[in-house]
Amino acid sequence: MPTAIVATGLSKTYDVKVRDPGIRGALAALARPRYRQVRAVDDVSFAIERGDAVAFLGPNGAGKTTTLKMLTGLLYPSAGRAEVAGCNPWTGGNAFRRRIAFVLGNKQQLLWDLPPEETFRLNRAIYGVSAADYTTRRAELVELLVLGDLIDKPARQLSLGERMKCELAAALLHQPEVLFLDEPTLGLDLEAQQTIRTFLGEYRRRHGATILLTSHYMADVTALASRVLIINRGRLLYDGELSELVARIAPIKRIELVLSETVSRARLEEYGTVAHYAPPRATLEVPRELATAASTRLLTDLEVADLSIQDPPIEEVIRIAFGETEHDVLAEPEPVARTDVRRAPP
Amino acid sequence: MSRVATRSAFATFRDQYAELMRSAFLIDLQYRASIAIWLLWGITEPIISLGIWWSIAAGGAVDGYTREDFARYFFGVALVNQATLSWDAWNIDRWIREGEMNFRLTRPIAPIHEAIADNIAYKAPTAVIILTAWIGAATFWPAVRIPFEPGRWALAIIAIVLAAAIRFLNGYATGLLAFWTTRATALVELQFGLSLFLSGRIAPLSLLPPQVVRAAEYLWFPYVLSFPVEVLTGTVTTGGQYARGFGGQAIWLAIWLLLYLLVWTRGRRRYGAVGG
Repeated sequence: MPTAIVATGLSKTYDVKVRDPGIRGALAALARPRYRQVRAVDDVSFAIERGDAVAFLGPNGAGKTTTLKMLTGLLYPSAGRAEVAGCNPWTGGNAFRRRIAFVLGNKQQLLWDLPPEETFRLNRAIYGVSAADYTTRRAELVELLVLGDLIDKPARQLSLGERMKCELAAALLHQPEVLFLDEPTLGLDLEAQQTIRTFLGEYRRRHGATILLTSHYMADVTALASRVLIINRGRLLYDGELSELVARIAPIKRIELVLSETVSRARLEEYGTVAHYAPPRATLEVPRELATAASTRLLTDLEVADLSIQDPPIEEVIRIAFGETEHDVLAEPEPVARTDVRRAPP
Repeated sequence: MSRVATRSAFATFRDQYAELMRSAFLIDLQYRASIAIWLLWGITEPIISLGIWWSIAAGGAVDGYTREDFARYFFGVALVNQATLSWDAWNIDRWIREGEMNFRLTRPIAPIHEAIADNIAYKAPTAVIILTAWIGAATFWPAVRIPFEPGRWALAIIAIVLAAAIRFLNGYATGLLAFWTTRATALVELQFGLSLFLSGRIAPLSLLPPQVVRAAEYLWFPYVLSFPVEVLTGTVTTGGQYARGFGGQAIWLAIWLLLYLLVWTRGRRRYGAVGG
């Protein structure tokens, strides 16, 4: 199968101005600027086959978005090469841009004051989609995303979830070969998240589009991708099957509790490992398959004001998956891989 | 084969412009109340200037300018200024600061075309409104009538289009400095301040001190307002004056086009290096 995305040794180093605090620091920085090199992405290599869906996981500031911005041609790498949809992202020009779509969950391209329909029309013209293709694709997207009359309301009147659905439709009218999604479900309610996951899966199945998405949510990953890339502090830590990753991490669920009575830590230990104890709140970790039973027991035995069962957060998954060796690295508070201080060139 | 390809590339481009202008116009319609206020604000300044010069010229012509000349001149200023306004620096500043440049850079069309289409969609209808108001005023106020000379009007239209292009590229290129600095819009405001005097907005250039006029002639300001207005009102008459005016416009158009290309390619590279 042909390859849709190849990244070889991609690195991105930023120069960040360093400044001591206070007015003195500000003046000193004006006179003699100092820069710190921040390595946002460090020697990342991977290949994605056409039609695959791959999830890019990692905590905030890990380098996910920077990698996506390099692969879409927005940022130039400090080192390394890439090929996306058969093009070089930095020299591929408009031919390359017609083959990809980049959807940023926290930014919008919909025309704010106009109905999404107008953005669709505009994108049809910008991407040079024929009238016949436009009619078919628009109808398909309206159906799959259940857009209904949303497309006739001004974008500013839509909810976040409705807007995201329209964003996706606008980004897919030119039927891109490779779809980059940066946090497509960020901030959406559960129902909207579910709609978008279902849609993306169905769209990929129908059109064989390659999808590379970043997310904070494990649910996005389990629903969409069979393969995950885990990146932290700019370095690729894991590239492989999701099932393998789940096998490697302790298969646990977290039960988050708000108690209406005082319950001792020791008492809670009877139901699972107490990960966090700050009455009236507590978090228990229990084996995945026992989560439902443990919750039922908790609700019967104790006076519980609120209870929710959750997947461990990504940070936790990474920490568990990479055990003690990576633990030290992850524990550092600095959000960057490596830093060194140098004077600015004259 | 290649001819077909060229034609279809052109058709795509035309289609892109048509849709960009359409959506810009629809957005403008949403903001019609604001636009009405901007329009009023835009003509207030030339009307105030006219009021001042009208009373100054009460006792007779000022340096050859009669009250009627001032009236025609400032009606011309209102029209040409509306047709050549430039606000793009503020848009670019927002695109870059708020990350809205990103999706524009992943689309198969350079962001400048969106700005050009936006300019046409806004200026064409608003210039027509001012022109209509002018014609209305001319029916009962002979002072603001312009002699019927289609040749001169055609030249005036060319001069206005060239002036709009220079001011657009000037504003757009200065706005692109937002790739480097957060103060790009301040530079535009500085130019705006200079243009009050040097482009002939508050007084016809010939009434300014000769040193100021000489300085202005080395800059683009007279060519983006004073010259088109004077073509329109009939102050420009000789072939030499036309040649100097259009020549100056051509040179400044070329200079700002080159500066735009330079700032765009460098700025794009810098954006690629450091991000938004």
